[in-house]
Amino acid sequence: MDFDLGEEATALRARLRTLIAEHLPEGFLGAFTSDPADLDRTQAFCRLLAEEGLLTVAWPTAFGGGGGSLWDQTVVREEMWAHHEPRGAQYMGLNWVGPAIMAHGTDAQQAQHLPPIAAGEVIWCQGFSEPEAGSDLAALRTRAEPVGDPAAPDGWRITGQKIWTSYAGMAQWCIIAARVGAGERHEGITMFLVPMDAPGIEVRPIRTMLGPHHLNEVFFDDVPAGPDAVLGTVGGGWSVIKTALAHERVGIARYARCERLISALGAELAPHWDDLPAGLHVAWARALVQVRVARLLAYRTVHAQERGAVPDVAASAARIAVTQCDQSVAEVLASAVEHRSLEAGCDAPLHGAVEDHWRYAQAATVASGTIEVQRMIVAKALLRGEPV
Amino acid sequence: MNPVLPDEAIELAEAAGKALAAAGGVDLYRKAEVDPTVPVTAVAPLLDGLGIDDLDPRADEVALAAGAALCEAAGRAALPYPVAAVLVRDPDGRPTAAVPAGTARVDHVTTFDEWRVGTVDGTGGGIGRPAAVLGTRLGPFVGDLAVQAGTDPAPAADILLHQVLVGWTVLGSLERAVAVTVEHVNGRIQFGKPIAAFQAVQFQLADAAVAVAGLRELAAFTLWRVGDVGAVAARADVLALRLHALETARAVLRTCQQLHGAAGVCDEYDVSILVRSVQPALRLPLGGDATADALARAIAADGFVGLFPHGGGR
Repeated sequence: MDFDLGEEATALRARLRTLIAEHLPEGFLGAFTSDPADLDRTQAFCRLLAEEGLLTVAWPTAFGGGGGSLWDQTVVREEMWAHHEPRGAQYMGLNWVGPAIMAHGTDAQQAQHLPPIAAGEVIWCQGFSEPEAGSDLAALRTRAEPVGDPAAPDGWRITGQKIWTSYAGMAQWCIIAARVGAGERHEGITMFLVPMDAPGIEVRPIRTMLGPHHLNEVFFDDVPAGPDAVLGTVGGGWSVIKTALAHERVGIARYARCERLISALGAELAPHWDDLPAGLHVAWARALVQVRVARLLAYRTVHAQERGAVPDVAASAARIAVTQCDQSVAEVLASAVEHRSLEAGCDAPLHGAVEDHWRYAQAATVASGTIEVQRMIVAKALLRGEPV
Repeated sequence: MNPVLPDEAIELAEAAGKALAAAGGVDLYRKAEVDPTVPVTAVAPLLDGLGIDDLDPRADEVALAAGAALCEAAGRAALPYPVAAVLVRDPDGRPTAAVPAGTARVDHVTTFDEWRVGTVDGTGGGIGRPAAVLGTRLGPFVGDLAVQAGTDPAPAADILLHQVLVGWTVLGSLERAVAVTVEHVNGRIQFGKPIAAFQAVQFQLADAAVAVAGLRELAAFTLWRVGDVGAVAARADVLALRLHALETARAVLRTCQQLHGAAGVCDEYDVSILVRSVQPALRLPLGGDATADALARAIAADGFVGLFPHGGGR
């Protein structure tokens, strides 16, 4: 039994923190702020990470990556999210679009798409959710019609609507799930790689509390796609989705940002600590324990993956704990700074991070699979007598 | 990074689980409520057979984990015996326990003629002999010790280690409570189907199971910290485990009882025994609020290990 991530992971963490401190301004809150320069900063930071060999530290060496361990990946995930994801919109391409192309792509697709992702030069978005297919993704209605002979099509025409599509307005490419043929549920679902400047694609931003540019509706109106746009096999999209989601089992390391903000605000409040309500001291301590538990549940999942298991249930358990932790910590931070929790911008508490975190935390139990779906997965296993 | 207990500890937990189940499991608690000699005549020989007398969790990290695993097994069986206190016995063999300030109150008080006790804040304690037994539904074996003046309190490290092992005992009780609740909701038919088919039931169970899984990871982490830096340096970690064990127990046991319906308060059902048996561990030596307060002070004084530095604001 050992909870030390090891010297390599510690060194990697230190190196990442040094780069972040040297290249990002204090108070950086990610790509999705009202300051357009923040997006440019994330793009520049991705190129820097690529030059340092850190952008694809988790990718297999066969695809030009660093071949890092699962714990290296964990450290990268933690440090990036803790510091407001300075990879900006690119983390999706790195974390799972790239790996899905490695697993299911043709040689040509790999040669076309992997190098730009590894160089930090491309933003991908993901066309999964639809107005009538959220948690129930297999209910998707977007269609892809073959052009020419259905048995050997010359290409495809994609029509449908996607929603909650992060980064769509800034992405160059989209991985989109569409249905081929008259099948239902998982039948006929096919993944396509489509450039976002293809004719017939319209992106409409959705005004949300998360900030500008984040969530969008994307309309596909008879969008042309070549025969080589299919990722995997026609009708085999569900297995691509499963591969993609496997790379995101543990999900976002929300606990890491929680802990960083607790630490930073603690230091900021230090001169007045004894004057704060005693209840806040206790809530603070409880939050630290909750963050620790969330992190340990995430580590349990990584450890199971390391041993070759497919820890779906453990991952769902971790996500329940991590997302709830995100929301609890948001309340503790907001409570600690009282009325100033309403303030945003550089002069606000933690350069606006308290306000920013509260807003983002509200979507934590919905994004990438609702907490209800996670509970269903856990309960199903439990009632079958499987360990949780 | 490896959160799994060493093989020796896992093997001991399995052996203990089998031995305690063969001896009646939770029925031992029911019998002890009727016959106060059961802990000494029936339970002590069982633990002797498992090698409790040769196990000192202070010896090394493997022994520490083995002690925790034995406590977990005891918790699963609601064992009417102070396993944690016996594992942290003093050099003369007296069980060691943490007690509330001002009242040297312990569970399973009459199982031993003499105890070594101490308070969590280090202000009191000593050698004590049983003076009174509560004999209540929530504390059938709880009693007070008459502490001899001039005797030394238990060392702080032992008091903290006792609390870690009590945390593992609580964990075992919660794991068993969830397991018997799963059995119950799968078997209980209402409206023509098992109540497990209702999503309201499933979600409550899922939350309970995740909470217990989280407690287990925290308990393992705390064990590692105690083994790594010693119990005194890990004081905040120990208090964090205690606080989380208390709060998890409150939520999980409530769910487990509720999902049993009226059966949840019937001693015929194991969940009722598990809920009652764990109450002394949740109230002694500190309740939830006092534990949270002690934790906040410990973090302010010593910090809290994590990805970023914490000083509780200092």
